[in-house]
Amino acid sequence: MAQLGVLQKPAEPANQSKYSVELKHVKKSYGTNGETEIYADLTFQLLKGTFVALVGPIGSGKTTMVNMFAGLERPTSGTIIVLGQDLTRMDEDSLAAFRASAIGLVPQVQTLIPELTVYENVELPLHFAKVDERSRRDKVDKVLERVGIRGEADKGVAKLSVGEKQMVSFARALVNDPPILLMDEPTEALDPLMSEVVLGLLRGDNMTEGRTIFVTTHDKRVTDLARRTLRVNKKIP
Amino acid sequence: MLARGLKITKTTHMLVAAVATAVAANAMVAVQFTGLAGQVVLLALIFGSLAIGTSAISADIYARSSLTVSNLRSIGASSRSISSAVLVPVLVFGIAGSAFGAGVGAGLGMTLGGPGGPVTVLTEVLAVILTSSAASAAGVFAGGRAAWRS
Repeated sequence: MAQLGVLQKPAEPANQSKYSVELKHVKKSYGTNGETEIYADLTFQLLKGTFVALVGPIGSGKTTMVNMFAGLERPTSGTIIVLGQDLTRMDEDSLAAFRASAIGLVPQVQTLIPELTVYENVELPLHFAKVDERSRRDKVDKVLERVGIRGEADKGVAKLSVGEKQMVSFARALVNDPPILLMDEPTEALDPLMSEVVLGLLRGDNMTEGRTIFVTTHDKRVTDLARRTLRVNKKIP
Repeated sequence: MLARGLKITKTTHMLVAAVATAVAANAMVAVQFTGLAGQVVLLALIFGSLAIGTSAISADIYARSSLTVSNLRSIGASSRSISSAVLVPVLVFGIAGSAFGAGVGAGLGMTLGGPGGPVTVLTEVLAVILTSSAASAAGVFAGGRAAWRS
């Protein structure tokens, strides 16, 4: 079972309205009888607009945490409230609609659609959020410019390098200007140069301003940017 | 765009249209040479075979694209938006194939000396098209639903 500890700054005061994410007695286990316990009783909050990093050994449940925040995985018990919405009470389509409007996700494993171009991949979340075509075009153009891949818009993502794909993932996560940005090991598969580009994005005001950022990482350069760092102490057996 | 992401290609369209055309054409010829009871059985056969066919095609689309579906879900795709991307092209090409097949079958039946007049044949054509369209829709829906649950 993994345990979570605060390494840097202590938890913020318990004012419900200030939180973008609240976990209350969350238990998460896998297996038919729940024999693999990941989190036993997890209670913590993330302040709105804060940048929090989660560190810990490989296989300690960091990705599970990101997935639970995004409503991609449900806790075995307990409550997860994100922006005032209790994710544990929402059906799959409500969760999908919530993700489309409120969550930007940069997953550890590339989830871009290889049959589509860079532009189309970035446009998809806006399509699901039912944004009209003109606004979609404006938003996609702006975000591609912001992450520095405007020139690659018409390329198929299958032809891009790992670093370029990560930039597309960033653009896709940011295109709808979500209040919460979740990133799972955003610099892990990148060469030093591309890592610096990602770190540059994380340092940028227009990336972080007013947005709650939750990132899992092994990269000290990322935790140095975070306002608060949480650690998962144990590897899951 | 979504259909392309789900690997729904021209081959998929052709497969649906060809199956619908073959079933509708054969049934339409046979319908013209049978009585009411035989026609009901034939329409039931059309419905059953086309529903099974389109169900298998839509389930195959989901199976081939399960990772894509999961990726799309992670960025906010609802089951409805994904199902629509599968349903619409299969339905459109299913109906188109049915209409074409029914037309060919009607012409062939009349050439072979089918006993019905133009009004009767037209009614039979409409019945075949409606039945096969409904079967296409039911099959796609059932296939998608089964795949979605799994």
